[in-house]
Amino acid sequence: MASVNNSKNLRDSDIQKKIDHEIRMRDGACKLLAACSQRDQALEAAKSLLTCNTRIMAYMSELQRMKEAQVMQRVARRSDGTRSSDAGPMDDRLPCKGKVAISDLRIPLMWKDTEYFKNKGELHRCAVFCLLQVGGEIHDTDMVMVDRTLTDICFDNTIVFSEASPGFELRVELYSCCSEEDYSAGSAPRKLASKLSSSLGRSAGKKLRVAMDPGACSPTSNGGAVTLLLPGHAVAGPKYHLLAHTSLSLSHVQDSFRTHDLSISGNEDCSYWVPLYGSVCCRLAAQPHCMTQQMMSGCLKVKQLGGDPQSWTNVYGVLKGTNLFCYHRQEDMEANVEPAFTIAINKETRIRASEKDPHSKAQSICISNQYGGEEVTHTLSADSHEETHRWMEAFWQQFYDMSQWKQCCDDLMKIELPSPRKPALVTSKQGSLYHEIVIDTSDDISTVTDILTRRMQELELRSQLGTSPPWMSLFEESPGGPRTPRLARHSPRSPHRLPHSPLSPLRCPWPGLLSSDASLTSDSDSPCSTSPCSRHRGWAEPLSSPRFRPRTLSLDAKLSTLRGRGYGGVLQCSCQPPSSSSLGPIPAQCVPQATLSCSSSTSSNSSSEGSHSPSSLDGTPFSRPSSARRSLRNVRAKLDPRNWLQSQV
Amino acid sequence: MKGPLSYLQPGRNTKVSDQSETMSFIPGQPVTAVVQRIEIRKLRQGEHLILGFSIGGGIDQDPGQNPFSEDKSDKGIYVTRVTPEGPAEVAGLMMGDKVMQVNGWDMTMVTHDQARKRLTKKNEDVVRLLVTRKSLEQAVKHSMM
Repeated sequence: MASVNNSKNLRDSDIQKKIDHEIRMRDGACKLLAACSQRDQALEAAKSLLTCNTRIMAYMSELQRMKEAQVMQRVARRSDGTRSSDAGPMDDRLPCKGKVAISDLRIPLMWKDTEYFKNKGELHRCAVFCLLQVGGEIHDTDMVMVDRTLTDICFDNTIVFSEASPGFELRVELYSCCSEEDYSAGSAPRKLASKLSSSLGRSAGKKLRVAMDPGACSPTSNGGAVTLLLPGHAVAGPKYHLLAHTSLSLSHVQDSFRTHDLSISGNEDCSYWVPLYGSVCCRLAAQPHCMTQQMMSGCLKVKQLGGDPQSWTNVYGVLKGTNLFCYHRQEDMEANVEPAFTIAINKETRIRASEKDPHSKAQSICISNQYGGEEVTHTLSADSHEETHRWMEAFWQQFYDMSQWKQCCDDLMKIELPSPRKPALVTSKQGSLYHEIVIDTSDDISTVTDILTRRMQELELRSQLGTSPPWMSLFEESPGGPRTPRLARHSPRSPHRLPHSPLSPLRCPWPGLLSSDASLTSDSDSPCSTSPCSRHRGWAEPLSSPRFRPRTLSLDAKLSTLRGRGYGGVLQCSCQPPSSSSLGPIPAQCVPQATLSCSSSTSSNSSSEGSHSPSSLDGTPFSRPSSARRSLRNVRAKLDPRNWLQSQV
Repeated sequence: MKGPLSYLQPGRNTKVSDQSETMSFIPGQPVTAVVQRIEIRKLRQGEHLILGFSIGGGIDQDPGQNPFSEDKSDKGIYVTRVTPEGPAEVAGLMMGDKVMQVNGWDMTMVTHDQARKRLTKKNEDVVRLLVTRKSLEQAVKHSMM
């Protein structure tokens, strides 16, 4: 009884250690979430958070089950006075455990064809990942960004569960999170939000530890109390939602790829929606231990039936997988020498204990196999009765395991362990390194900072409107070293946020200017873009609340009526902050910029997919096209010097 | 519809050369490349004819940001995206292809806008492109060995 209790206590403390570990990881993830500024980091941190939470819940439910079992046992013991832990399990045979591996997960997507052929605004992107659970073991895959250029979501991870029983249930859950939300908790300032999340993390952890105490009441089974303790909802940041799930079991195990159905939760209206085709392809393989490990070994005497009664061969037998390998000596097996011969032990094999052979001391074991059309029988004899009994036990266990693991015992399935990966370059989809531009100390830095300072002063005059351009964060940061500003994919919000009054006098003459430019209308055969782009793709965090000007710029509307066409692809312009060379006469130019950017969007048919439209402030001069239409081209060149435009045709 | 592979020297200053070297781009020098002929039938969508792919590049663009070019000073026109099951994909165009010619017009020395215009002429139903890609080069090299 003591030993049973001890083992239970050991398991208890094991789980508690795991829970403590996960709580620490959780705290770390919360802190990271509060502290990180880049969207990718926030998504990764939120993913870790979800994984930690799920693990904590799984461990806690296991703890709960164990406590319940303990209580049941105590009750049973009290009632009938017998030690119920003795009986039962000993007689029932338990199948061996095995390794279960899932790899090459691929989830096909089903975008509407209208989405393909349009280039409406920027790509709606979602971050997705999978949680895989067998019993108490939970693993997550890497995160994948999904947008409509993808036809399948592919996870390259191979996930191995080492101790699974044949009745395992592998639950696959697909979580997704929209990649464009404003993560900050509404209008709450960031500082407060981060304080909340980190402080709650610690106190909640304490509460959790109190709940772990065996003396305290355990959390309710549905995890309701747990969710109160786990401040997941209070943490600001991206939140993943369950998009689809499925359960796989032994019947789905095969040595090749198979397709399974997914149950999809959520619908088109959810922000985290990704149009799934409804199935998931993967390779689910299993390696039961009976196939990979030595189940039994020992010295035997083997005789082939029909042979001379005296022709017993002394061998060292090893039962592994579907074979009984017979080596001349034990050393041969350790040296990996080929066995003397091999007796098959598979589903077709018949084993029985023979009657006492008058020549030998103990019972023999007869193993019959069908080789071709012939039946071949081997007789095994062990040294003692106990040995024979152990061998018989081993054979029965092997047969039982094979009957439980079914198709996994036909042949050994290959499981490739995931190789240690180098840190993946996430920039593959994002494009060039121009996204992360470090303004290092060069000759141009002074020019750039001068320009930026002047611009900032200019904009501070309008600060009563609360606008601030993206790169203001450069100056908001602590005056430590130079930071790496994320200059990717932003639009100069300021021009769009300029109040109407200074803008309107400039906008009015503009359509007139355009319509008079006949060459312009004939030039491009597509309408203007709907919006000066990249609005949504602005900065992740420095700006408190996005104050977008409504999309229906009257300028755009005017120009679209001028064009009178609706091209299938709605394209967007690439608005850039002024490059250094154009920043010379700043005060004069900053206001007209808004209108100029609009015009550039109309004249050029180009859409800038965000990944390829960074701006550079490194001050290198851009090339001006020497085209005939100087006025417009020059303007466009001034504004989009470093943009790598892409056009849809 | 894919056409036969052919050796071609595009570019403004064409020069006859009878060996296919690696697709090296030296600004100002004639270019030699192994190309594939791709004929795309435009698809009518509403009142527009579309091809179903996106291009990037041009002499007025920053070549360093081209993720598909081997030589980062190559200002040619590259295919940056192919719409799945669009006319371009059906015709065999692949992402990363460099467009050398469109209906006989050179595309190695054009601005981005000029390139786009040459592809989207309203009176043309079909565009015949000459494109090149790295895998073509290698296929030819292997077959010659």
